[in-house]
Amino acid sequence: MRGRPAVGVAVPALALTLALALSMSTSACQSLNTPLYFAAQSTLEAGGVDDMGNPRPDGTGSVVLQFRQPTPAEQQKIDADKQRLGFDVPWLQRDRLHIELLYTIKNLDSDPGVFTLRVDGANEYTKYDETAIAGAFKAANQDAVLLPLLRGGPQMLAPGATYQGTLREDDFVEASLDLYAIGKWMASYASVLINRSEVDPVGLEMVPPGAIVPAFYEFDAALSADKHMSCDFLVRIRDDDDRLFHEGSDAQFMPAPTDYVPMIPPKQ
Amino acid sequence: MVAAAALLLFGSMRAQAQVTDVPNPAIFPDPAKFARGLYTEGEIGALIFLGTAQDRIGPGVALGGRVGYDLTRWMALQLHAIGSTHETKFAGMPQAGQIIQLYQGTAELKATIRIVQTSIFLEGGGGVARLSTNILETVGGSGQRNGLTAGGGAGVDYHSLSRHFSVGLRAGYFWLRDIKGSSQITATAYLRYTF
Repeated sequence: MRGRPAVGVAVPALALTLALALSMSTSACQSLNTPLYFAAQSTLEAGGVDDMGNPRPDGTGSVVLQFRQPTPAEQQKIDADKQRLGFDVPWLQRDRLHIELLYTIKNLDSDPGVFTLRVDGANEYTKYDETAIAGAFKAANQDAVLLPLLRGGPQMLAPGATYQGTLREDDFVEASLDLYAIGKWMASYASVLINRSEVDPVGLEMVPPGAIVPAFYEFDAALSADKHMSCDFLVRIRDDDDRLFHEGSDAQFMPAPTDYVPMIPPKQ
Repeated sequence: MVAAAALLLFGSMRAQAQVTDVPNPAIFPDPAKFARGLYTEGEIGALIFLGTAQDRIGPGVALGGRVGYDLTRWMALQLHAIGSTHETKFAGMPQAGQIIQLYQGTAELKATIRIVQTSIFLEGGGGVARLSTNILETVGGSGQRNGLTAGGGAGVDYHSLSRHFSVGLRAGYFWLRDIKGSSQITATAYLRYTF
């Protein structure tokens, strides 16, 4: 009988603790892993020839995420950060919006082929578009140096095979910094896109320490292939502060980024 | 005198005990001594999707709990919460290989038949289900993130010699209204504590 009271007290406490731990772990898992997915509207196709016998151009498609306006309290925080840092602070912040791009490429041809998936995009300040960059080079009568913000491949694919790839969250962390440096701090796009910032931060000298880096909200994918291939992609986002737009209950945030156009001196 | 003495010596009747009731057979342990009333359960097991979702979401580990109350010896009302984690299939699509959780909360009625330490039970009810992500929505018409669920199951329970503890196995089939054309089977082992 000596042990009974202790057991009688300890066991309900244990049961309650277990129940509490279960509910806490469930809610913790829920907050840790609540990604949302946004798929491209259509499948991209590139390579080979079309029904008319013409070479098929690169396939392009976009995903644009919609976000809500900041609440008054959030706007106050942005204003306070802006005051503290002395320069503009974004609402869509890289450290609060964790992004991946998932894609699959299928080789629809009867021969092996090579594909490359290039991904450009925009933050709330700057839109990076290789077409605009190519236009700037053309206007300056120079050979274009075109680099995407992110890239999958080049990769050889057997006939009929499917490749599944991911541009990971850390890839977007890097690309977000690159785009911010290019658009806001006059970094040379070739320097920052070729170099990984933690290895060689060349081009990032002008980005002040403590700067709050904006996140991507637009994703522009382009598939190029030497054989007929297709690509499906979707954007996966973990939204720490529920900044994504909820239709009917939120006012929509409408960013208006400016196109990035490099300064290219005319060919002599 | 002689007659009286002879009656005392030889005439006494044989003594007999009077039986008024059939003695109880020994029942050990006596189920009447098991705790009854408010109880909690913790369970772990597996959840498998059936129907449309079977081709798109793999089987997963399930973890859950129940809080209930024994209304009578054979009838109980219980609240059930269970979460399970799965990997998506979607062969050849970028949605493949993603982790997804299914959370379900139901209210259930449970009927029990006890035979000493062992009991068998049937239970059923309905409630809500929620997927942790919207990935099914990105694959045309596969289903919605929030929905309703209903179903039931059966199990067997073994009571320990402790007044409070029992363990058991159960399996249930639940229809998922908003994951189109789908349902699920859950099989778990549980530990129960009755207060």
